[in-house]
Amino acid sequence: MPKPSDLLQGTLDLLILKTIARKPLHGWGIAKRIQALSGDALSVGQGSLYPALHRLENQGWICAKWQDSDLGRPAKVYSLTSEGRKQLERELKSWNRLSSAVQLLIQSA
Amino acid sequence: MRIFRIIQRRVHSVLRRSRADAELQREIEIHIHELTRQAIAEGMSEAEARARAFREFGAIERTKEECRDARGVNRVQDFTQDLRYGFRILRKSPGFSAVAVLTLALGIGVNTAMFSIVDAVLLRSLPYRDPNQLALMFNVPLKRPDALAGISYRDFTEYRSHNRVFSEMAGNTFHDLTLTGAGEPLIVNTADVTPEIFPLLNAKPLAGRTLLPEDGKQGAAAVAVVSENLWRSRFGSNPALIGQSIVLDMRPFTVVGILPAAFRYPEGAPQQDVWISVLQDPLFGPLTSQPRVRLLGVIGRLKPGISLTKAQAGMNTLSARLAKEFSAEDSGLTIRIESYREAVVGNVKSVLLILLSAVGLLLLMACANIANLLLSKATSREREIAMRIALGASRARIVRQLLAESVLLALLGGLAGVLLACSAVWTLQPFLPSDLTRISSIHVGGPVLAFALSLSFAAALAFGLAPALLAAPSNLQTSMREGGERTGQRGGQHVRSFLAIGEISLAMVLLVAGGLLIRSLALVTSVNPGFDPRNVTEAEVSLPQFQYSKPRQWTAFSGELMARLQAQPGLHDSAMAAPLPMDRQGQATFEFSIVGNAPLPRGKSTTANYSTVSPDYFHVMRIPLLRGRFFSRQDSPSNPKVAIISETLARRYFPNQNPIGREMRFGFPPDSNVSREIVGVVGDVRDVALSQKPGPIMYVPFAQAPLYGGEVVVRSSLSTSSVAAAIRQQVHSIDKALPVTDVEPFPNALGQSISRERFRTFLLGSFSAMALVLAALGIFGVVSYSTSQRTREIGIRVALGAHPRDVLRLILGQGAKLALLGLGIGAVFALLLTRFMASQLYGVSATDPLTFGAVAFILFGVSVTACYIPARRALRVDPIVALRCQ
Repeated sequence: MPKPSDLLQGTLDLLILKTIARKPLHGWGIAKRIQALSGDALSVGQGSLYPALHRLENQGWICAKWQDSDLGRPAKVYSLTSEGRKQLERELKSWNRLSSAVQLLIQSA
Repeated sequence: MRIFRIIQRRVHSVLRRSRADAELQREIEIHIHELTRQAIAEGMSEAEARARAFREFGAIERTKEECRDARGVNRVQDFTQDLRYGFRILRKSPGFSAVAVLTLALGIGVNTAMFSIVDAVLLRSLPYRDPNQLALMFNVPLKRPDALAGISYRDFTEYRSHNRVFSEMAGNTFHDLTLTGAGEPLIVNTADVTPEIFPLLNAKPLAGRTLLPEDGKQGAAAVAVVSENLWRSRFGSNPALIGQSIVLDMRPFTVVGILPAAFRYPEGAPQQDVWISVLQDPLFGPLTSQPRVRLLGVIGRLKPGISLTKAQAGMNTLSARLAKEFSAEDSGLTIRIESYREAVVGNVKSVLLILLSAVGLLLLMACANIANLLLSKATSREREIAMRIALGASRARIVRQLLAESVLLALLGGLAGVLLACSAVWTLQPFLPSDLTRISSIHVGGPVLAFALSLSFAAALAFGLAPALLAAPSNLQTSMREGGERTGQRGGQHVRSFLAIGEISLAMVLLVAGGLLIRSLALVTSVNPGFDPRNVTEAEVSLPQFQYSKPRQWTAFSGELMARLQAQPGLHDSAMAAPLPMDRQGQATFEFSIVGNAPLPRGKSTTANYSTVSPDYFHVMRIPLLRGRFFSRQDSPSNPKVAIISETLARRYFPNQNPIGREMRFGFPPDSNVSREIVGVVGDVRDVALSQKPGPIMYVPFAQAPLYGGEVVVRSSLSTSSVAAAIRQQVHSIDKALPVTDVEPFPNALGQSISRERFRTFLLGSFSAMALVLAALGIFGVVSYSTSQRTREIGIRVALGAHPRDVLRLILGQGAKLALLGLGIGAVFALLLTRFMASQLYGVSATDPLTFGAVAFILFGVSVTACYIPARRALRVDPIVALRCQ
């Protein structure tokens, strides 16, 4: 079975953190939002979202609560912890570094 | 803190696993529900929409499994589950489990037992305070730094008061004294010490006190410290003993204290009963004033921060000063300092390390065997494993589960191994050579158990990893379709063959090592010691020196005893000597000079071993006369002093000359400058050890150089017990208060002298035998498995008209190929490794072609025989059945 590469996995984590940084969301909402933001280009295998969520929760970067939702019934809603906020900043920084480095490479190539 | 929270969460999720699973289920349901709603909104029918939702979501069970992994619950939960499941699997195939656990128990058992010895001898700290600060000191000639000698009392006091590297220094020596007035006369092992030894070793008395500095002064009152054992056995644990006097060699000593039974120095030494100041000893006391007599063993405690090298440098300066100041005695001498630990365990270290590596190899072989078994099992489980992967188990998860089974096996094997080790240590204890220091303290304790446990886990990894990795197939479809009969087998077969080859090479190494030791032991035991020990009984008689203080009395006593013994029927061949060959108390070595030869250059000396013997000694021991004559009764104190020398001495120091009639000067200290005429040359005798080539020996007549006792030797066809009774009776008819000790047949005493060789040969020999069995099992497993896999092929061959002989050759050929490869590799390793044991060998080189050849032959024979069983089975297969079987 193909495993997502580390880069992809890291990217998914970043996307999730970034998405729920704006406001707490349930799994379905996160999936929809990532899909919408990336214009379907980065559409994640929907199932693989959940292990990522659980991993982030386990790391203590996000926390979850069952609460009433826009879906008309209680859903598990994920929000960022303060640790998660720090992690997001770190990941954004390294992402920016990486992308500008790639940008530079492409331009000079 | 974060770690703590993670752990908390994990524990939480383990406890609430079912709730977490239910929530996950609901979360996924919501997602799928929304996906379906979306699809319906796009205009699909409900069924279509649902199908698309499932497709888009992906494998639900796998997602769940990954979520559990991500939560980290699975690690703990899975492990207990794996263990439970593994236990079920092991119970389902009891034959396999029993073989695996037993093999492993053997491997871990011998390792644990061996380690418990290594732990006790090499690793556990010595029973003294800060043992690494302890160092021993020896005087050595500048020219021969290996000829360690003791230190004279005068030099000891000089060293002690003028050195700047030791915080404390003490001297000691041993002497057997006779305790009378407390039941039967008893020889007590007496430590003659300087009082500093007690604070130096931190010896605390059970009651009373130890010796004080005043007790060690010249002219002090005679006081003694007794051991707890002697206090209990001879004085009924009477606390009033302190202050009372006891009689040692007919002289009263006031008891000032009792030392606990555990205390002894050096720690490997035999039990000590009494401690007195060396100045009070009847023999050594007077000798302390003679600076030529180097009788003290000296131990010192290094000052904090002083290294051994620094101490050596400091003491060198001091000893150079002494050599100048006391040039008469000390010129040409220097001092050598050795770490106490090194001195105590140095000589057994290499043997133990060899044995430890041997059992390590055995464990490797046991692991290889179990790996083989597991591989065969895993192949037959391939279908089950493929099914589990299809149902969503990750590859890592499968590997973990198989490893858990291995861990379970290893733990069971480890448990059985520890039990085995306990019983082995318990059974072997009496057979351990007495010079393995601290032998009494060998037990399976905490560090040993920790060792066994880590060994079990290492073994589980060693034999579990390859099968587990190979068992989780990368190509699911083929595994499912073919039902685990063909796939994975190629790789598996290779690994199995590799393991079998490895086992045979390890067995080769062990067998060669064992074979070399067995051969050298055989050579040692069959060596001609230069005398005939058969039918000879020895006994030690010693005379208390306060009662028998004059040499004249010693001569008279021995003459009387010999006359009385020889008058007994059957005891005509009786003699006396001190010391005997292989004497437990060691040999006496003296310098000698040859009258008429030019004096030796300064700092150079010639030495030979010394023995004082009664006239019939050579006859009783069957030591042949080569030239001149034996001693006779005419060689009395009043007649000219004579000596007999051994063949080696004659050859080495009288090359191409006739030594008869020449004169030599040597002797026990008061007589060391007496010249003696050589009257005879006798055959060489191995007197230090059977494995040591005979050195030069000088003999003197007992009557002209008497001692306060000696060893009685009797050659008789009577039983040892009746000879012993006769000796006792005759000794006591002269003096009822004389102890007779260590009565035993001479061959026993000889056996004692090679007990260490015998023990390590026994151990390594048994390890090689185990290795042989394991290797045979290993190759048997590989060949019989591959034969069973080839049943169909063999059936076709037979159906097509192959002769049974061809089939036999096919299968035996496979085994022979593995065996030969293993032998080749093993021989190379053996050549590389056995030279490390060259120092342990006697009369056989580490690359002895005979041993290598014989071992290769045996190993090859056993391997091919092991293959013969599956080959026979293959031949018996009915071709029709074979063709139908798949």
